[in-house]
Amino acid sequence: MLSTIAIESLKRRKTTAILTLLSITISISLLLCVDIIRTQVKTSFTRTVSGVDLIVGAPSGQLNLLLSSVFNIGTPTKGIEYKSIAALQSNKQVSWLIPLSLGDTHRGFRVVGTTNSFFDHFKYGDMQSLEMAAGSTFTQPLSTVIGADIAKSLGYKVGDKIIISHGLGSVSFNNHDDHPFTISGIVKKTGTPVDKAVYVTLQGLEEAHTGPKHSPTSMLGRKSADKANEHEHEHEHEHDEHTKEHAVYNSEAFTPESVSVVMLGLKHRVTALQLQYQINQSKKEPLMAILPGMALAELWQIMGNVESLLLGLSGLIVICALIGLATMLLATMRERYQEIAVLRTIGAGPFTLLLLIQIEAMLLTIVSAALSLGLVAGLMSALKPWLSSTYGLFLSSPLFGQSSVIIILLILGCTYLVSLFPAVAAYRRGLHAGLNANS
Amino acid sequence: MNTINKKNSTHSQRNAVSEGRNTAIEVSNLQFSYTKESPPIIDIKAWQVSQGEHVFLSGPSGSGKSTLLNLLCGTLTPTQGDIALLAQPFSALSNRQRDKFRARNIGVVFQQFNLIPYLSVAQNINAAVYFASTNVSKTASDAKLRHLLDKLQLPSHVLHAKADALSIGQQQRVAIARALINDPQLLIVDEPTSALDTDARDSFMSLLKDVAGESTMIFVSHDKAMESYFDRHCSMSELSPSTNHLKTRGDEAPKAQERA
Repeated sequence: MLSTIAIESLKRRKTTAILTLLSITISISLLLCVDIIRTQVKTSFTRTVSGVDLIVGAPSGQLNLLLSSVFNIGTPTKGIEYKSIAALQSNKQVSWLIPLSLGDTHRGFRVVGTTNSFFDHFKYGDMQSLEMAAGSTFTQPLSTVIGADIAKSLGYKVGDKIIISHGLGSVSFNNHDDHPFTISGIVKKTGTPVDKAVYVTLQGLEEAHTGPKHSPTSMLGRKSADKANEHEHEHEHEHDEHTKEHAVYNSEAFTPESVSVVMLGLKHRVTALQLQYQINQSKKEPLMAILPGMALAELWQIMGNVESLLLGLSGLIVICALIGLATMLLATMRERYQEIAVLRTIGAGPFTLLLLIQIEAMLLTIVSAALSLGLVAGLMSALKPWLSSTYGLFLSSPLFGQSSVIIILLILGCTYLVSLFPAVAAYRRGLHAGLNANS
Repeated sequence: MNTINKKNSTHSQRNAVSEGRNTAIEVSNLQFSYTKESPPIIDIKAWQVSQGEHVFLSGPSGSGKSTLLNLLCGTLTPTQGDIALLAQPFSALSNRQRDKFRARNIGVVFQQFNLIPYLSVAQNINAAVYFASTNVSKTASDAKLRHLLDKLQLPSHVLHAKADALSIGQQQRVAIARALINDPQLLIVDEPTSALDTDARDSFMSLLKDVAGESTMIFVSHDKAMESYFDRHCSMSELSPSTNHLKTRGDEAPKAQERA
C-alpha cells in the first residue's frame, strides 16, 4: 500500500519528478560510463597480450615500448640489429621469438612487418591463439594478413591487393606503389589491436623500402620450424593446408637488417627476470627488455590518479543530483501537510510517513538506476565501433561488473541518507498533524 | 484508570451517561496547551460519552473543538489528565499503540481535505484498511466496501476515479465510507456540513446517521441548528468553561498554534 501511495504521489508531481529522475539518470549514467571505460580499458589492455614473456626493443621507456609494440599506439622505437636478434634466438632460455617491424600504414591502419611465427605464437585474452577467418598466413614475400576490422571496414577479401604507405599518418604521399601486397588471410576477430593491423612479411616490407634482396636462411625461423616439425604428425589433418603453405614459403627464412621490436616466449617463465637483466646489461647493442605485466602495472599507476579524479567528479555529480531529489521532496512537503494529516488520522504513524518519503526517493533512484543501465548499455553498444576505431578500446561483455553493482548500491545508500531530510520533516510534521491541518 | 474512577461527578456526567450502557469516552482533568508558557486551550474536569451515543459538540471558532477531537484521536497528547476510550487508557498508550488503536477503532471525517487527492477512491478507502492491519480478507473488505458505497448511494465506477475528480458531496460520502470501513466503535466528524446548503446538509445528516448505526459519534459543528439530529448536545463553554471564559476576555491563544 505504501508503495502505491508513493507511486501515485510521484505521478501527481509528474513534472518535478521527471526532471529529478532525469538529473539522477544522467548523473548515474555518467558515473557508470566512467566506471565502465575504466574497467574496460583495463580488461581490454590486459587481454591484448598474453603468453609473451619479454618484449625487447631499443632503449626508450618501458611504456613507449609496450604501447608501440602491443597496442600500436605512439611512435616505434629505433630498430634492433639482426645480430642482436640472432643472439636472442640462440639463447637457451628462449622458446620462440616474434620479430616486429613497425612504422608504416595502410589507409590509417598500422602495418606490422613480421613472420609466420607471429600467428603461431602470439596469444591474446586467456591464452587464445590467433585463428584465420579466411585464407592462410603468409604464402609468399608479398603476402599480407589483415585484421577482422580492416576487412570489414574496407571491404577487403582474400586475394585483394593493397598498397602500404611509409610513415604513420593516415594520409601519406610516400606510397610503396610498386610493391602491392596480396591478402592471403584475414584473422578472426580478437577484440584487440590485432583487428586493426595489417601484417606483412618482413621480407616484403624491407623490399618495399629498399628493393629486392636475396638472403640465405637466417636464424629466425629455426626454433619455430623445429618446433613445427615436432608437432607435425599430431596436427597433420587440422593443419594440413597450413603446413603446406609453410612449405611453399618460409617467412622466417628471411634475414632482416633490423626490426623494431622482438617479442619473446621463454621455456620457463621464471627465467624472465634473469633474461631481462641480461638483455638490459648487454654491451653489444644497447637494448631494453620489458615484462608486459610490469609495464601494464606502471600504466595503471599513471592512469590511477586520472581514474580517481574522474570517478570522484562523477560521484560528486551524483550527490548533487541526489541533493536535488531531497530538495524536490522538501519543497513539496508544504503542499503535503494536509495529506500527512489525513494519513495520520487514518492510522499512519509518523514513522510510516518517514518511510513513505523514503520509498518515494528510493523509487526515483531505482528507476533512474535502471534507466541509466539501459542508457549506458545502449550508448556503449552504439559507441562500440567508434571507441575501438578511435581509441583502440574494445568493449567486452559483461559490460557491467562488480564495480557497477557497488556503485548502484552506494547510490541507493546515499539516497537513503539524503532522503532523511524530507523524511524527517514529514515525520516531525506527522507528530503534530491532526484534523484541520489546513492552517 | 484509578484517577478516572475516583473523579467527582460533574454536570457533564449527569447529562451524558445513559443508564445501562458502557462508557465509550471518559475524560478526566484534561488540560492541553501547545507550549508550556501559553494558557491551556482545553481544560475539562470530567466528561463521559456512552457507547452508541451520538453527541453534538458545538462552540464558536477558537473554542478548542478541533483540539479536543485531536486529543480524542491521539494525534495530540494531553498536557495533563487522562482520556480513556472504549475502556482503554488511551492517553497512556505509546504513540505507536495509539496510531494502531485509532486505525482500528476510530473513524474520522474531516471538515475538508478528507481524501488524498491523487489516490483513487478505492485506494483512499483501502489505505484505512491497510493501516488498521486487521485480519479481514481482501474479499470481505471488498464486499464491505461495495456495501458501504451502496448505502452511501455512490455508483461503483467512482471506485476507480481519483478523489479530486469527484464532487464535494461525493468526496464527503467517500470520506464517510473510509471512516466506516474498519467498523469503528467511535466516529469523529469535524464540521463536514459547513460547505453545504440546508437541503444538502439534511440529506447528508440522514445518510450519516443511517450508516453510523451503533457507533458512538462525536459530531462537531458551530451550527446549533444541527442539534436535533443527536442524542445529546455538549458545548465547549460547558465542557471547558475556564478556557472559553478566557477567550471571551480576548485572551485567546495564537491562531496558528491553536488550530482549532
